[in-house]
Amino acid sequence: MSFDDRRLAIQVEGLSKRFHIPLDHSSTLKHRVTHWRSASRYRILEALLDINFEVAAGEFIGIIGHNGSGKSTLLKILSRIYHPDAGRVTINGKVSPFLELGVGFNPELTARENIYLSGAILGLGRSELHRIFDEIIGFAELEQFVDHKLKNFSSGMEVRLAFSLAIQAHAEILMMDEVLAVGDASFQQKCFDIFKRYKREGRTVVLVTHSLSAVTLYCERALLLDHGRLVADGPAIEVTAQYRRSLGLAADDSRLVSDADRWGSRDVVMTGVRMLDERGVEDCNPPTGGSIRVELGYEIQNDAVRDFTCVVWLMRDGGLVVSEDRFPVSQYALVGANQRGSTGTIRYDIPHLPFLEGGYSVNVELQGRFDGATYDHLDHAIRFRVIDKGGRPGLIETGAVWSVTRSEAPVMSWPDQLAAPAPRASGDG
Amino acid sequence: MSAPADVRLPGSPAGSAAQLDSFRHYRHLTLELAISQFKLRYTQSVLGYLWSLLKPAMLFGITYFIFVDLFKINDGTQFYGMQVLLGIVMWTFFAECTASSMQAIAGSAGLIRKAYFPRSILVIAASLSSLFTFLINMLIVFAIAVALRQIDVGLRMLIVIPLLLELYMLTLGLSLFLASLHVQFHDVGHLWDVLMQLLFYGSGVMFSLTYVLQRLHMALGVGQTAHLQPHLAWIVELMCANPITQNIEDLRHALLAQQAPWTELVVTGHLAAVKQYAAVDAPWLLPVPFLVVVLVFTIGALTFRARARNFAESL
Repeated sequence: MSFDDRRLAIQVEGLSKRFHIPLDHSSTLKHRVTHWRSASRYRILEALLDINFEVAAGEFIGIIGHNGSGKSTLLKILSRIYHPDAGRVTINGKVSPFLELGVGFNPELTARENIYLSGAILGLGRSELHRIFDEIIGFAELEQFVDHKLKNFSSGMEVRLAFSLAIQAHAEILMMDEVLAVGDASFQQKCFDIFKRYKREGRTVVLVTHSLSAVTLYCERALLLDHGRLVADGPAIEVTAQYRRSLGLAADDSRLVSDADRWGSRDVVMTGVRMLDERGVEDCNPPTGGSIRVELGYEIQNDAVRDFTCVVWLMRDGGLVVSEDRFPVSQYALVGANQRGSTGTIRYDIPHLPFLEGGYSVNVELQGRFDGATYDHLDHAIRFRVIDKGGRPGLIETGAVWSVTRSEAPVMSWPDQLAAPAPRASGDG
Repeated sequence: MSAPADVRLPGSPAGSAAQLDSFRHYRHLTLELAISQFKLRYTQSVLGYLWSLLKPAMLFGITYFIFVDLFKINDGTQFYGMQVLLGIVMWTFFAECTASSMQAIAGSAGLIRKAYFPRSILVIAASLSSLFTFLINMLIVFAIAVALRQIDVGLRMLIVIPLLLELYMLTLGLSLFLASLHVQFHDVGHLWDVLMQLLFYGSGVMFSLTYVLQRLHMALGVGQTAHLQPHLAWIVELMCANPITQNIEDLRHALLAQQAPWTELVVTGHLAAVKQYAAVDAPWLLPVPFLVVVLVFTIGALTFRARARNFAESL
């Protein structure tokens, strides 16, 4: 692969990194002098082992994995903070030099001084900062606190300031570590809006996070790290599913039926869940107005099972949007009693998706028809993103119709108490 | 088995503009860091910046009282008070700059672990913020000296510029060396405190070299032209090789020895005393302090470069 290939933003070949973790604290000269024989008393931690991947310019890529899998180490090597032990990293484009918000902020300096200092770390020139200063302060809603010291700010104010400064960086490649971990829901919404903007602008973003939903919603592609090894590289939906499965398998091994996402008596189990679009493509991002089908394989594991049904919930941002329960819906999937070992497929179709752009997840459950006993329940069995080509704000497409009729005299009238207020009298009589 | 580690960044063929860009960025970052450190140094103090003037002034007051009023010491040179004042201002810069720059890396752990930029920027910024203070102090001392008619304003004052550059280069080289070691071994800080005490007396801050020689002669009871005992000659030679002695002596000589001919102004200040007494006839000592400066700077810069890539992990 040629270095001049403009379409590659990041190229990583054979990257390895190990840490030497001292077994005892030896950061004094005395220790070095008195223990010079045992100078090599440390444990070697293979943080990253032979990592290979490429990121095309404009890609939005997520790095996931459990704690200690090496994802932050990888990000730090990509941003030149750590130096690799072996391998080659080629970066094509200007990299944002920060990993977290508010890097370089000093509590003893004022908001103004911090903007100039932290801005310099982000690569913004003085004249440029001068020009966009009001914009930064305005976006952070801190006009009255420009010359107050940062230590007197609330943490919310500080995060707002850091964020409105960070989004001014010009980098073509952005490395972000758990940006979403800070701030409240409205702040996270702001982050997502910025992600959308970056996407539109064709910037390359590498996002390290524990939030699988953020990865499925914003990244086309994800890397899964496990003990320093790259174990999966592919579409975000598949990789996050694999990661969830690996977590689920771990739970299975220990014979724990009820882990966080999956529980039930397992009299009937789901053998698989998938979502297809109208062309039968799996793991799709369906358009508003398109159709989707959820398919669920089952296997009966207990002869005593009588009739059972399937329930589907659609969630958006953790909130319930649709519940396809047995009641009051008259139509539902009813599977008659059958013997142990019999299998089949249940299908759930939405012919016309009313949702506007957003990320959704599907929870499914197999339950007894009469007692409602949970046989097998799985949260977030599927995650998908609805794409609205029109880019309309809001939640659903109503199919509403507008119309206007003219009339000679005003029609309808307010009840007295709701009548339009009289023009306000001047003065304070 | 594994290829050598390599990190490549935008730069090479079409990247000269980008390199210039990042140079500008880093220069800007250095200045911003220096400015904020300068501000932070005097934060939460009533007198603020005045302390940077008061500290050397107080040190001067104490020294002058003890040496001149109490012990009636005067090395016979003209304007002894001004000699000591110049020495103290220069020494204060050297001491404060190395002490604060040494902490520059270890004290910015958060920044180093979270953002990339050449690590030397932190040390350079710390040293620049000490340099601001030093230059302002120097201007004030100049003003006092001119007011007291101890310095003639003239072209020969320009000699101060290369001398200050030399002092800065020495200080920065040492700072880089100390800062890179301090990341792993905090002992360096304590060791340096002690070494500074030694250096303070070994650099002729309170007295000129002439005075040291005078005292040695008096103690030994030998004539002024006689050669020193070998082991004492060794001490004098060591003092002459010390770049701080050389720097202070040369600066005093350039500013205060108004009768000295031009030819003696440039680098001979530190040997003038030695030659005058013919105690140590060692012209080879002349370039040694400059070589020491170059050596210290090179070692400091190389040590720093070799260790810088591991700072983020070690902190």
